Amino acid sequence: MTLTALDWIIVTLYLVGCLVAGLWMRKFVRGVQDFAVAGREMDVNLGIASLAATELGLVTIMYTAQLGYEKGFAGAAIGVIMASAIWLVGRTGFVIGPLRTAGVMTIPELFEQRFSPRVRWLAGLFVVLGGLLNMGIFLRLGGEFLVHATGLPPGWLEWIMTALLGLVLLYTALGGMLSVLVTDYLQFLVMGVGIVATSVLVLMHIGWDNLVDTLYQRWAADAAAGGAQKIAHPFNPAHATSFGWAYLLWQFFFQLAGTTTWQTQISRVLAAKDAATARKMYRHTSFYFVGRFLLPGLWGAAACVWFAQHGGLPAELTTLTAMPHYLSLVLPAGIIGIVVAAMLAAEMSTDSGYMLTWATVIYNDLVTPCLRRPLSPRGQLVLTRLLVLGIAIFLLFYGLWYELPGNAWDYLAVTGNIYLASVFTLLVAGLYWPRANATGAAAALVLGALGPIVFLLLGRKFAIPPEIAGASSFALAALGMIAGSLLTPPPSLATPANPIATAP
Amino acid sequence: MNSLLLAFWATLIFASIGWYGFLVFYVGWTAGREIRVMTRTLAAAANAADQAAPK
Repeated sequence: MTLTALDWIIVTLYLVGCLVAGLWMRKFVRGVQDFAVAGREMDVNLGIASLAATELGLVTIMYTAQLGYEKGFAGAAIGVIMASAIWLVGRTGFVIGPLRTAGVMTIPELFEQRFSPRVRWLAGLFVVLGGLLNMGIFLRLGGEFLVHATGLPPGWLEWIMTALLGLVLLYTALGGMLSVLVTDYLQFLVMGVGIVATSVLVLMHIGWDNLVDTLYQRWAADAAAGGAQKIAHPFNPAHATSFGWAYLLWQFFFQLAGTTTWQTQISRVLAAKDAATARKMYRHTSFYFVGRFLLPGLWGAAACVWFAQHGGLPAELTTLTAMPHYLSLVLPAGIIGIVVAAMLAAEMSTDSGYMLTWATVIYNDLVTPCLRRPLSPRGQLVLTRLLVLGIAIFLLFYGLWYELPGNAWDYLAVTGNIYLASVFTLLVAGLYWPRANATGAAAALVLGALGPIVFLLLGRKFAIPPEIAGASSFALAALGMIAGSLLTPPPSLATPANPIATAP
Repeated sequence: MNSLLLAFWATLIFASIGWYGFLVFYVGWTAGREIRVMTRTLAAAANAADQAAPK
């Protein structure tokens, strides 16, 4: 076993600290508004910590390290694109400004104001479907990291992740967004220390010159050998052996849509004090997303070089599990405890934020519109907490049997795209195109989800490239919105609740 | 080897390490203060709601 007694003490202290902080916030929860959006009392720096912690999960570290292993530094090009998209949205207030001003609790709620209750319900369904499928692989990938980095028996993976999820469930179900914000803050700090320490130690261990020279020479030798190249260019993401221009272009649209539409990110926008706070939070967090891809990518690239110089990747490891195994060899006692605590922090902050977000959407947009009589405030809280519990149970079972059809990043991008393209189209058209109506919105939702669902069902059999599945869903959603809106009567925009009337 | 691309990635890697290190201290201090303010506001709102509630 890799962990020493000192490492276990560090990990235990961290877990107890998170649990105490999370449970402490429970006393401030008075209703669903506090539970779902923290009473809209979140300020800029807490928002930065929460947004960064939620969007940097252990699953993120695993797939970005896999990209680093397979594509070198060029794998982090997606992070650069993502940071640019977040900064651009924060700078202009595109979508997030009017969305926060509308005062809604979820994105689908806005669609009821702009389109119709049916569009809200349908959008809620797609948001939940895409979000839960996306989250389905979090536990397994997180568990893979922990068993490889700590040297624990692989058979313990399910039990460790079940216990961890139980801990997260306890404070999330009781304290909601308030607990999530405070534990995200602690997790942001622990994660920051762990990521910086690991990056410095990895660089010291592998050596900068050795790293870049070996990465390049592996690619150059493969290119010189002729035939189909298997190794991607480690520095140039636009190179034909790496992502290529088509994929990068798709990623720009995907990240722009994700930044303005991904409910876990948007829930921080909606919890912010006002639109100006939300925009500032986005601008100040943007560069964090470069490191989100690049630093774990650096660890993955270093693992690639180390294994290449030590007889190749062992049969029991994959490009996904190579990085945690490499870290277990590199990091000294005490430091590995901090790193494991940091990675647990990454996993917990993401799980809590995602469980709360999807439970809020199910409660707010799928269940509430179907109720004949509104629930009492206590009933609303109990129902939302039960939904958090239900999502945790789903995660345990789905996460254990689903087998990835491609690499982890492609799976996450495609499942997220089930609703990203269509909901993004609805948001943009709803806020900025007065002619958009409910028929166009419904058509955009259905058509936008087709591409990713086809990829999920048939992707492995027919080798559909993820950028084709993704880009086609954007095009289909836009087509549905335009055709549906123009072929049916225009909407009435005179209602005072209509967000388009107040959009800047 | 394309030295421009390499310089680009090297700058981003070292800037990211520096930025993450800075944020731990900066956000650690400022967000900690914001949590104190937020909990005081929520506690005050809860007290006000309790007092306004019919006995």
